[in-house]
Amino acid sequence: MAEKPRLKLPKEAKKGDVIEIKTLLAHTMESGQRKDKDGKTIPRKIINKFTCEFNGKPVFSTTLEPAIAANPYMQFYAKVTESGTFKFTWTDDDGSVTTAEEKITVA
Amino acid sequence: MREGILSGNAVALIVAGAVLASGSQALAQATPAKREAPIELKADASPRPWKRYPGWPARDYSKYNTLANLATPPAPKEPRKLTGPITGDAKKGAELVADRARGGSCLACHVMGPAGGANLPGNVAPDLSEIGNAGREDEWLFNYVYDARVYNPETVMPPWGSHGFFDEAEINDIVAFLKTLKSPAVFKTELDNPEKRPVPVEKRDNLDPIENPAMWAVEKAEALFKQRTASGFACATCHNDPKTQFKTWAAAMPKWEPRLNKVLGVEEFITRHAKATTGADWMMETDDNRAMSVYLHFLANGEPIKVDTASAEAKAAIARGVELSKRKVGQLNMACTDCHGIAANKWIRGQWLGEPKGQYDHFPTWRTNLLAIWDIRQRFQWCQVNIRADELPPDAKEYGDLEFYLATQNEGLKLSVPGIRH
Repeated sequence: MAEKPRLKLPKEAKKGDVIEIKTLLAHTMESGQRKDKDGKTIPRKIINKFTCEFNGKPVFSTTLEPAIAANPYMQFYAKVTESGTFKFTWTDDDGSVTTAEEKITVA
Repeated sequence: MREGILSGNAVALIVAGAVLASGSQALAQATPAKREAPIELKADASPRPWKRYPGWPARDYSKYNTLANLATPPAPKEPRKLTGPITGDAKKGAELVADRARGGSCLACHVMGPAGGANLPGNVAPDLSEIGNAGREDEWLFNYVYDARVYNPETVMPPWGSHGFFDEAEINDIVAFLKTLKSPAVFKTELDNPEKRPVPVEKRDNLDPIENPAMWAVEKAEALFKQRTASGFACATCHNDPKTQFKTWAAAMPKWEPRLNKVLGVEEFITRHAKATTGADWMMETDDNRAMSVYLHFLANGEPIKVDTASAEAKAAIARGVELSKRKVGQLNMACTDCHGIAANKWIRGQWLGEPKGQYDHFPTWRTNLLAIWDIRQRFQWCQVNIRADELPPDAKEYGDLEFYLATQNEGLKLSVPGIRH
């Protein structure tokens, strides 16, 4: 899956606003519980950690478990008091990390 | 082989004087003359022999009608005579009527009191919760299950015995169970009552890429559109302004194609046009083909569906589509019009049967339960396999006729692609 992460948050906000952030990453989230045609277990491969930072400071982070469905979708809120950059990271079981950034202007 | 890039229909404008580097002739002209879009005329647009998708039931239904072939044995003329009263096992019967593995069995269409402790009965056919009070003879009950066509040739009920879903002993068990049904159904939950079950409503924003992963196909197709093949050409070589050039195109598809003597839908057109121009190999039911189809429909979003039915050939194709929609196919012996006509807007077990209008404007669509994009031809194929008929290859001319008819039933609805459905 070479899909880029999907982000949805406002480009501008007023100081003190609570904004809604939506993120989605295309990922199979293979649970490690399924078996293939020959009865062999399909190895687990999930996104196990998601974090969101704003100007280097943590906003939100979570551990993901195998029960989370494919294409993990996160929706959360943040209070913004200054302009800056949100940085999102998704960590895969195989160690690879996907990142994405989005700027917001706070007036 | 390549005919060069010709100025085509109303949407295919050509860059004047563009010289194409291909070995054969290069004929780009900005003439107003009506030139048909080049299409591959020989090869099929999907593999032959057609192989069913992995994960779909592998059963062989070749003993029964398909949309291309008549094979179903004729209906019996007379009811079967019973030699004595039926002494089946009502408890076994209660399980059989709710057995989803037997073509959906009785509960797909009938409420049957407490049958098998099962959930979500359908309401296509009469509630049989009190059939035990109806004073029906054993022989009548047996034959109604075995093959109801002996009493009602127009019935939509599958011939459970004649078509081998149940053997005689099992039908005896079912009849024994039917005779125990003597009081109105009591439902465990309100959802189990098909008269009160809420009709599904699709409210998600299907054009939001966070809601609908099929929207990612639009970006994929935009890249494919610009990608040059070994020939040196891309779609964009000729179609330099797709947003304008394809603003209405997909809403007027499918269309009658005299060069192939069949109806062409968007997906088959993509395969044949790409082959004849850039040389891209975009066979139907591949990810590239689906992405291009989503994109070309997406560009025409908001445009009302309006197909060209003017020619005698187009009218004949639609007439064939109407006939095909009434043909009984498969082991379940059902026609399109059984579920989406007679039984439309009812429940078949836990599934809502839609009417034809509204079944076309959102295709290709995202299937949330499958994490996949389905075009209309794959949807047709699944309908067939679902009623236990062999499906046809996606570019079969019969599907063309059927899609054409479906498009006329959806005329005026505005395209909203990619859709999103469970």
